[in-house]
Amino acid sequence: MMKIMEDVSVVSQEKVAFQTHLLRLSAGRISREARLGQFLMVQVRDGTDPLLRRPFSFHRIDAEQGVVEILYRVVGRGTWWLSQCDSGARLRIIGPLGNGFQLPQCGPAPVVAVAGGIGIAPMMQLLEKLAQWLAPSGKTREIHLFYGARTAEEFIPGKAFDTLGITVHWSTDDGSRGHEGFVTRLLEDTMRREKIKPCVVYSCGPLAMQYHVARWALENGVPSQLSLESLMACGLGACLGCALPAVNPAAPQEEHYLHVCKDGPVFKAEMIQWHKIQTHPATPPIFLFS
Amino acid sequence: MAQNSNAPGDTPDLSVQLGPLRLRNPVMVASGTFGYGEEYEDFLDLERLGAIVVKGISLRPRPGNPPPRIVETAAGMINAIGLENVGVDVFLKSKLPHLQRLQVPVVVNIFGNTLEEYAQLAAKLDGVPGIAALEINISCPNVKEGGMVFGTDPLMAARVVQVVRRATALPLITKLTPNVTRIGDIARATVDAGSDMLSCINTVAAMAVDIFSRRPKLANVMGGLSGPAIKPIALRCTLEVLREVHCPVIGIGGIATPTDALEFLVLGARAVQVGTANFVNPSVTTEIIEGMERFLRVEKIARLEDCIGTLDTQCLFPFAEIACELTDLP
Repeated sequence: MMKIMEDVSVVSQEKVAFQTHLLRLSAGRISREARLGQFLMVQVRDGTDPLLRRPFSFHRIDAEQGVVEILYRVVGRGTWWLSQCDSGARLRIIGPLGNGFQLPQCGPAPVVAVAGGIGIAPMMQLLEKLAQWLAPSGKTREIHLFYGARTAEEFIPGKAFDTLGITVHWSTDDGSRGHEGFVTRLLEDTMRREKIKPCVVYSCGPLAMQYHVARWALENGVPSQLSLESLMACGLGACLGCALPAVNPAAPQEEHYLHVCKDGPVFKAEMIQWHKIQTHPATPPIFLFS
Repeated sequence: MAQNSNAPGDTPDLSVQLGPLRLRNPVMVASGTFGYGEEYEDFLDLERLGAIVVKGISLRPRPGNPPPRIVETAAGMINAIGLENVGVDVFLKSKLPHLQRLQVPVVVNIFGNTLEEYAQLAAKLDGVPGIAALEINISCPNVKEGGMVFGTDPLMAARVVQVVRRATALPLITKLTPNVTRIGDIARATVDAGSDMLSCINTVAAMAVDIFSRRPKLANVMGGLSGPAIKPIALRCTLEVLREVHCPVIGIGGIATPTDALEFLVLGARAVQVGTANFVNPSVTTEIIEGMERFLRVEKIARLEDCIGTLDTQCLFPFAEIACELTDLP
C-alpha cells in the first residue's frame, strides 16, 4: 500500500467532550487509500518544537467526500497545538500507515468491542460497519461495546450508539455513569454472567486496559484485535522507536520486539509479551505542558 | 567563493569528491534514520541522494533495547534503540540486493562488541558488489558492550580502525562521538590508524526525567540526543576535527534545511548526513538538495565544490585561544 504525504486543510474542528476534539481534514488522496484501524502522522505546526509528528488513528474515513476525521484528546503540547487549528488551516499529514482492523472471519455471532477513554476513536466506524453487516439478521444487539472513562464528561455523545442499535455497557472510574470501576472488570463480569462467547474482541485504550483485555481474551479463547499505542518518531518503520516486547514463535525464550507502526497498530493478544509491557501512569494535568 | 558568469537558468553542479567516492550531491542519509532505504521509497527517488548509509549492522541479529526507546525534547529527540538490526547475513541476503539495483552509493554502517567482531564483519562485507564504503560505528551511546567505549579512547578507537583496515580494501569512514573532551584527538588517532574519512557527530549522550513516575523517560535511562538542538554542537565538533586532520569529513547533526547543510560545507565538510529530519519529513533530503541548488543560482556559483571550506579563517584566531583554554589540561 502506498504511503502518502499530503498537504491538507482543516474542514472543521469542534470540541465534543472534556479535552476531546474532533478534527475533519480534507485529504482526498489519503482518504481513498485508508482502511479502518490504520493511522496517520500529523505535523501539528511548522518549526522545530514540537519536532515530531503525532500519530492518530483514523476516526472516520470518507473516501467519497475525500475527508478523514481524527478524534483526539489534548494530553500534551502536540495535541494542544493541534487543538488551536481553525477551519482552513493547513496541515502536513502522512498516511495511511499500519495494518488496520479485519472484519470477523466467523459468522455473525456476538462481537465485543472495548474502548478506554479516547480509545473510542478507531472504534466508531468499525461498529457502524459491523452494525450494517448484522442489521439484515436483526442481530445488531449482539454487538457489545464496553466503553470506559475516568468520568462521564469524557464520553463522546451517546446519540450515535442509539441509532446503531448496539448494546453499550458504560463504566467510569468515579461511578458518574454506568458501572463504577474498570471497564475490563465490567467486561469479564458481563461475559461470564450472560454466558456470551464472542467470535472476536476489538479493543483500543491505554496499555494498562489492553493488558487485561488480552488476558481475558487468551483465557477465554476469544480471537482478538487490539489496537496498541506507543511513542513514535517516524511511523514508517525507520526509527524503531515504537517497539513492544513480543513473542517470537520460532524462539519463545528469546528477546524479541514488534513495532507498532509496521507490525501493528492492530495486534493479536498472543503476539505480545504482556508481562514486559510498561504501563504509563494516568495522564497528568494539562496545565503542566502549556 | 569563485564567481562565474553562468546564466541563472543553468543547473549548478552539486557533485562533490568525497575521498575516493564521487557523489552526485553531498546529501547523504544518516545511519539508523533511513532503515534500509525501502521504508522511504514512497516519498523520494533514492537515486537522487548523494549516498545511503544503512542502519547499523552487527555480526548477529540484535533485538534492541526494551521500550520506551524514544522521547521528544525541545527541538530534538533522545533515542535508545540499542542497535536493533537483522544481522549481516540477513542484510546481505534480503536487504542489500534491492539497493544494489539502484544507482546510488551504499555505505554500510558496522558495529561490533569486540575487535574480532568488527574484523569478521568487515571481512564479510569486503568485495561484496554494490557497497561503496564502510562506516565504522564506534560511537553508539546506547549499548553496554563496545559502542562508545571504543569511541571515547584514542587507543581503542585506533585499534578498531586497524583491525577493520586489515580486513577490507573498502574505503573506511569512522563515525565519531561528541561525548569526549577532545574530539580532535580521536580524529587524529583513527586517521593515523587507516580511516580514509570521518563522519561527525553521532548523538549527544542525554536523558529525560518523568516527574510523575519519578523515573527516567527511557528504559535504558540514557540515550542519544539528536535533531536541530544539536546542530551547534555538531558544527563546533566538525571544526575541531577539520583543524586536526586533513581527510574528508562528513558533517552530521541537526541538519533539517538547506541552510543547515550549507553551514557544514562552508566550514569544510565535503558532505553531510541528514538524520532525525527524515523522521519528521520523509522527503526532506530532496528539499535540501533543491534548496542547495537555489542557493548556488542566487549566489551565482557554478559548482558546489567552490563553497566547501570557504569559512573566513580570520575569524578562527579567537577560536583557537578559547579552545585551548577550554580543553587543555594544566
